[in-house]
Formats: sequence, C-alpha cells, structure tokens
Amino acid sequence: MVQARGGEGTGQAATVVTGETLDGAGGRPDSVTRFAHMLSQLSSGQILMYAILIVLLFITFVPIIYLVALSLKDNGQIYGRFWSMPNPYRWENFALGSLAIWRPILNSILTSGSSTVATVVLASLSGYVFARHRFPGKEVIYTGILALLMIPPILTIIPAYVLILNMGLENTYWALILPWTSGGQVFALLLCRSFFATLPEEFFDAARIDGASELQSFAQIAVPLSAPILVTVAVVRLVTTYNQFMWPLVVISSPKRQVVAVALTQFTSEIGVTDLGPQMAGYILASIPLIVLFSFGMRHYVRGLTAGGLKA
Amino acid sequence: MAVLLAVAWPLGAQSPEGLLWEFGSTSRVQAVAITEDGRVTAVGSRDNTLRVFDAAGELMWQFEAENSILGVDISPDGQWVAVASEDRFVYLLDGEGKVLWQFKAARPMNNAAVASDGSLVAATSNDLSVYALDQAGNLLWQEELGIGVQAVDIYGSSEKARVVLGSDDGLVTIYSREGRQLLQAGLDYNVRSVSVSRNGARILAGSIDGSAILLNGANGNELWRFEAEDTINSVALAGDGSSALVGSKDGSAYLLGADGALRHQFRQDSEVLSVALAGDASRLMVGTVAGASRTYDLASALSGAERASAQRQRLFVSIALVFAALVAAAVWAARNTVAGQHVWQRSSAGPFGVVQAVWSARLSYLLILPTLALLLTFNYYPAFSGLYHAFTDWSPGARTDWVGLSNFRFLMEDRFFLSGFRNAAILVVVSVAKTMTVPLLVAEFIFNLRNRFSQYWFRTLFVVPIVLPAVVEILVWNNIYDPAIGLLNESLKLVGLEEWTRVWYGDASVALGSIIFIGVPWVNAFALLIFYGGLISISNEIIDASLVDGASTWRRFWSIDLPLLMGQIKLLLILNFINAVQTFELVYLTTGGGPGAATYTPALELYYLAMRMDRMGVASAIGMILFFIILAGTIVNMRFVKSSTEYEA
Repeated sequence: MVQARGGEGTGQAATVVTGETLDGAGGRPDSVTRFAHMLSQLSSGQILMYAILIVLLFITFVPIIYLVALSLKDNGQIYGRFWSMPNPYRWENFALGSLAIWRPILNSILTSGSSTVATVVLASLSGYVFARHRFPGKEVIYTGILALLMIPPILTIIPAYVLILNMGLENTYWALILPWTSGGQVFALLLCRSFFATLPEEFFDAARIDGASELQSFAQIAVPLSAPILVTVAVVRLVTTYNQFMWPLVVISSPKRQVVAVALTQFTSEIGVTDLGPQMAGYILASIPLIVLFSFGMRHYVRGLTAGGLKA
Repeated sequence: MAVLLAVAWPLGAQSPEGLLWEFGSTSRVQAVAITEDGRVTAVGSRDNTLRVFDAAGELMWQFEAENSILGVDISPDGQWVAVASEDRFVYLLDGEGKVLWQFKAARPMNNAAVASDGSLVAATSNDLSVYALDQAGNLLWQEELGIGVQAVDIYGSSEKARVVLGSDDGLVTIYSREGRQLLQAGLDYNVRSVSVSRNGARILAGSIDGSAILLNGANGNELWRFEAEDTINSVALAGDGSSALVGSKDGSAYLLGADGALRHQFRQDSEVLSVALAGDASRLMVGTVAGASRTYDLASALSGAERASAQRQRLFVSIALVFAALVAAAVWAARNTVAGQHVWQRSSAGPFGVVQAVWSARLSYLLILPTLALLLTFNYYPAFSGLYHAFTDWSPGARTDWVGLSNFRFLMEDRFFLSGFRNAAILVVVSVAKTMTVPLLVAEFIFNLRNRFSQYWFRTLFVVPIVLPAVVEILVWNNIYDPAIGLLNESLKLVGLEEWTRVWYGDASVALGSIIFIGVPWVNAFALLIFYGGLISISNEIIDASLVDGASTWRRFWSIDLPLLMGQIKLLLILNFINAVQTFELVYLTTGGGPGAATYTPALELYYLAMRMDRMGVASAIGMILFFIILAGTIVNMRFVKSSTEYEA
C-alpha cells in the first residue's frame, strides 16, 4: 500500500485503490483511524490542494462569521470583549434590525418582483414575435434593440434621472419599475428569441390547423415549453434588480420608498447613534430574499448570465 | 440634432430653483432661522456652532456653545437670537452675537423662541418642561408637562406676548406671558414643530405622521392639512400666514399657499431637519441632515418651476416630432433612394404592397409595441440625451446652453476626474487579475479532487457568499476596516503588530489598496461556477488521451484546459472590464473618494457632479467618455481575444 507515486498521471488507478481501501475499512468503526487511513491514501498533490482549498474557504468565510458574531452581540460585548463569543446571545438584535429594515425589504420585493414579471411577459411576447413572425423591418428593429447591449448604464443614468424628474415620477415605485422593466428586456428578449427559434415549427402548424389563434399558440404551446428559460430570465432579473444601488440612490429620496440595498447604507444616519448588533442583524435579514431565491434558482442564475454573456 | 436642440431650448441663465446661496458642512444642520426681510439668517448645527449670515451668504459672526445646537430663533429685526443647545443652556444673544444671558435646565434644551422685541424667551427641554424667561433672563414660569416637548413659537410683544407649544401628546397649547393656558387644541400625533403668524391668527403644526395642520389661532379649529411622505421635522409660517413651509424626513421642503395647496417642492439630497421662512415670504431656508443649509429666493424658484413645466410640454411635443420625422424619413427614403426603392419594390407589388404587408402584420407590431415604447423612452432617449448634453451646460428646468467641448476641457483639469481615471485603470487591471487567478485556481483544484463528495461540498461552500447582497459585503468590510473596533486592527493588536494598525480608509497611501483588498481571497462565486462549468464540459476523451500521453497536470492545464476555457475567459474578461470601468458603490460606500482625491473613480465624480453640484452637462461628458472606453474595450475583446485562439468552439 505504498502511495509514494505522486504523479497525477495515475489518477484513475489511484481512485480505484482508494475505493477498495475504503470498502475494506468499512468494518472498522473508528472514524478517526479511518480518516487517517484515508489521508494516507492521498497523494501529496491532493493533500496540498485540500489544504489550499480549506485555507481559502476559511478566509472567504471570515467576514460572514464576523457578521454573524457581531449580529448577536451588544455594544458592550463588542467594545469590551471583542474576541469572546456572544454571551448572552442578543437575539433581540434581529427584532430591532427587522424593525428598521422590513419596509425597505418589502419595497425591494415589490419593485424587483413587479418589474421582473413585466419583463418576462413583455420579453416572451416580443421574443415570440421576433422568432416566429415575419414582418417588414423585423431585422432592423431587432438589431436596433441588440445595439442597446452596448450602452452602459453609466451613460444613461443622469439623462434617465432627468427624464424621471420631467415625468414627475421621482420618489415613486414607477421610477424603479419602468426603467428596470425596460432595461431587462434586451437581454431577456435575446434569450427568449433564440429559445423560441428552436421550437419545432410542426407544433405551431398543428395548432393552426386545429384553429388556434396566434395568441393561443403563444400562450398554450410556446410559454409552457419555454418555462425553463423564462424562470432563468426571472431569476437573473430578480437578483440583478435586488442588488441595484446607484439608480435607487439617485431617484428615490424618501426613506419610506427606499429599496433595501440603499436603506442598509443609510442605517446609521437614520437612527443616529447606532448599536452595531441590530445593524448587522439587518444586513443578515436583507439577505433572506436572496437566500430563498438562490436555494432553488442558482442553476438558472448561472445559466442565464452565461448564456446572456456568451450570446452578446 | 435640430430636434434635440428643440428639446433643450436655451432658457437663459438662472440658478436652479432660485437657490441664492448655500452653506455646506459635514455636520447636520439642526436649526435655521431667518429675519422678517430675509436678509439675516442663522444656522445652528451639530458642530456646536451657530453661524449668522448676511443676505449674500457671507458669515457675519458665529457663536459656539458647549454642545450641539438644537434650536434657534431670530427676532424679525434680527436684534435678538435665542439659542437652545444640548449643553443644557438656552442663550439669548444680541444682533452682534454677544451673549446677554444664559439659563440652564436639567437636561438638554431642544428648542427656543424669542418674541419680536426680545421681551420673552420660551425654551423647551428634554426634561419634559417648558421655561419662559424675560428680557433679563429671569424665569417667569416653568411648566412640567411630563411628556416630550420640542415645538415652541412666540407671537405678540411685551405684555401681549404669547407662547405656542406643541407636545408629544398631540396637544397645541397657547400660554399667556404669565403662563396661563389660553387655548388648547388636540391633534392625533406627536407635534414636532409649530409656527405661528405675526398676530397669532394662524398656527401651523407639523406632526410625526407626516401631516402639517393649519389651525385657527382663535378657536383651535383645523383649517386645512397637508400630507408629506414622512415625518415632519420643521414647519414655518409667513408673518401674515399667506404661505407655509414644511420640512420633512422624506427629503423635501414643501411650500404651501394660503389654502394649503402645494406651490413648490424643494428637493434636498437628504432629510430636512429645519426650515425657516422670511416674514414677507420673500426668502426661505432649508437645513439638512447632510449638513447643507440653503437659502432660496421664492419668486425665482416659482418662475423656475413654471419654466420646468413649459420645458416638459416641449419635451412631449419634441418626442412626437421625432416620431413624425422618423416616419417622414422612412417614406422619403423609400421613394427617393435606390436602396429604398429596392425594398419598396421587393416587398411585393409596389407602394401599396408595403402598406399591405405592414397592415397584415399589424398584430406583430402591436405585440412588440410595449417593448419598443419602453426601450425608446427609457433606453434610447436617455442614451442620445446623454451624448447630446455632454456638450451643454445643463441644469434641467433652468438652462441648457451649448458649450462645445468646454465640459471635456474642464474634466482634463479636474483633479478628481483625473485621479479617478488613474484609479479606474488600476481597478480594471486588478479586477481582471482577481477574476482570472483565484477562481480559476480554485476551480482547477476542485475539479482535480478525487473525491466527488468533497468536490460537491467545496463547490457549494465557495458559492454560498453569493447570497449576501453586494452592498452588504462592502458594509461588512467597512466594519472590518473600522479604525476603532474593526477586525483587522484588533487582529493586528492581538498578534502584537500594533504599529501596523491604521485608519485604513483615511490614509491616502493605503486607502486604494484597502478598497482593492475587499473580498479577499477573491473567490468570486460567479467566476468560479463559470470556470468549473467550463472544466466539466471538457470531454473525458481529451483528458484521457492526455493521460495516456503522460502529460503532467501542469502541462494539461496549459495545453488543454486553458485553451478550452477561452470562451469563459473572454466572457469574464469583458464583464469585469465593463463593471470595473463603472465602479461606484465600492468607493461611494467606503471612502467616498477620499482622502483628498485618492480613491475617486470617474463614476463617483459623475455622481457628485450631477447630484451635489448640479453640473449635469459635465456629468454627461464623463458618461460619454466611459461609454467610448467600454465600447473600445468590447470591440478589442471581440476581435483580438477571439482571433488569438484557434481552440474556441
């Protein structure tokens, strides 16, 4: 059982050997010995990789651990006993933090949610039209829309703000919902069109023969078949808009209407003298919608961003 | 261009919304007061200082208390100034800033008012009492209300002076000079501020539910009420009660007419803590949490607002004209150009055929109409507007003057922009380097682990931090860098490197480094997933073949993995480049650009110029420059990076 052959080139063989040894070790309940045994099976390269990964993982998690620890302490514990664990645990920090942050969280959910729904509806409709209809000027219009991918937000933010001012919409939810709906459509349209284009023509021919109208075949054939891509668009848009900072900062001044990303940064000035604990608890609470979203939508998120980026 | 010019018709130079002058500081302005003719103003702020300015905004004198100034009142002739401070004193000063007397309460004084002849001073305190004092500082009477009180004003003079008080139980009470209750009216919520007209006929009360209520001073009946978006911090009433000013936590000061109708909204960059209105309503003043106190001229503010609405109409007309022009151009092109006639004829039988084709496809147009309308309004129009206004001196609602290249010339000499440019270049390089190294390394390591179980867990755990909103990560790092009680300094102390501790954001030599260091070890979850996804999609045959050929892991990485990951690298390269050029939150939330100009970025300077200095033209010029940089980068990435590799699928 000499495992001194360090070359990675023999990976396949090494895996097999490790597997056999583990089977053999199954009879021994002592997990420590088993772990030690397992380690001894690893080549030095593997051990090095494990070590580096564990160190990187630890450093990555330091801020999160710090955040959780602070969120459970009061100011006395933080300033007096910086390095000790929270004692007693100040769970009431979360109650205090939620008092200040529940409204911005609702604002965020409302604005992100409604703009995402609008984006999905509009982009799937027009994606369908661009993929399956023929009409004069189609390619010109489509190219015109795709050209918007080249326009960075930094160019439009000030003129868009002035536009919102002129429309009298600043400090309203519309100031967030309308531009987000509009801006998200470009990428969503791109994904939807290319997906709809892959659907076989026969489905739609069959529907037409059965007397389905254009809207019926959209709603009853195209949409159900494209559910995965629509979910992808929705997840990407939700995450993107929830994390938006600069635009809400510019167009929303009322704390009542502010979204959570900006409200978190105004925590300090709003309350005046602050306790760190509730503030940190607020940060954690603000993550809950994303935790919920990512717990089922991570796959969609990554796929959406990759597809959007690669196609653009 | 002509159409755009019509949109932005030059409107003549005029400062925005009638702003006369502004005094900016870093500490919140908690009290402002203004005389009858608006020529003398007093500003009390959290830095313990009361500053008195003349009509042009020049500092006349200042007075320093032991603690922050919470309340200020000035008599109509400017001869008397009452100051309430957190140092527990109420002071009476004369017109030159000399302290005539001071009076101490058990807790901080939170507001004060003075009669027009200085014969009576009323002060409210956090000890839940109100104090009335005469000209010499003798206590006339004191009433313990037993509930929070901070709204006080005085009308009348000498023996006929009356104190109007608003308290946290929602009561507005009028007291005589002797302390006798003359009238009491009840409102629904805590009264934060009161203001009374010269003869006492009208009382304006602002309460925490966001309503400002005008009461009849004779019987306490409600005349009208105005609802703001949020708690009202301060109200002011003109001497004759003909106009009112309401300052709210929602960040606006509202100017109301005699009937309570909104005449103008003065938007501020932060919560409005205090407002004052000259007796003849010619001038008004606003103090904010962010430390600005602004004095406005009412007449020009109102005419500015009228111009703005005229401009709005012009905007809608222009948009209609643009559409008409586009249609006309299309028709012209179809009739008079060779290509146009080609299209015209190709789309079946001549002109009539096109119309028919368009008509028969009307459902398609109808379905994409909402998308197009939104994109034209919120994406296309701002983009062109930004490009056009980069060449103008732009102050929406006031002026739009063509200035040629002078915005760009200004930027070439603006040290904040130049420093920002340098920093943006650094951030681009660093951000690309961060994404190309650590996540790729981690992805390779995880991919090369032999144990599927460990692979799964490492991948999952490295991705977990993505659930924190982007802003939260920056805020937590702010805390780690905190000079007083941050994790970094505490850790350095723990290991005995006390001399290494510093004010990380405040030291120009390390500030940018500190910002770059945020998020160490930079295992970007998104990049990791992209790289990992790329690695597992490399077909097993290729890897097996390399094993058979005896290639080392190192060799395999360079010769197989890296070329096959070119698509992913290209994607991350351009995404990082675009994001880094526009870096805003990372500096706005950490150093705010400081110390000095050390950590400015172009996007930050754009934000400051547009939102704080009202220089929208210069801000648009920055937007335009960044746009062209991003455009150039994207083109280079598309052409160069693609052609340099033959492996890409």
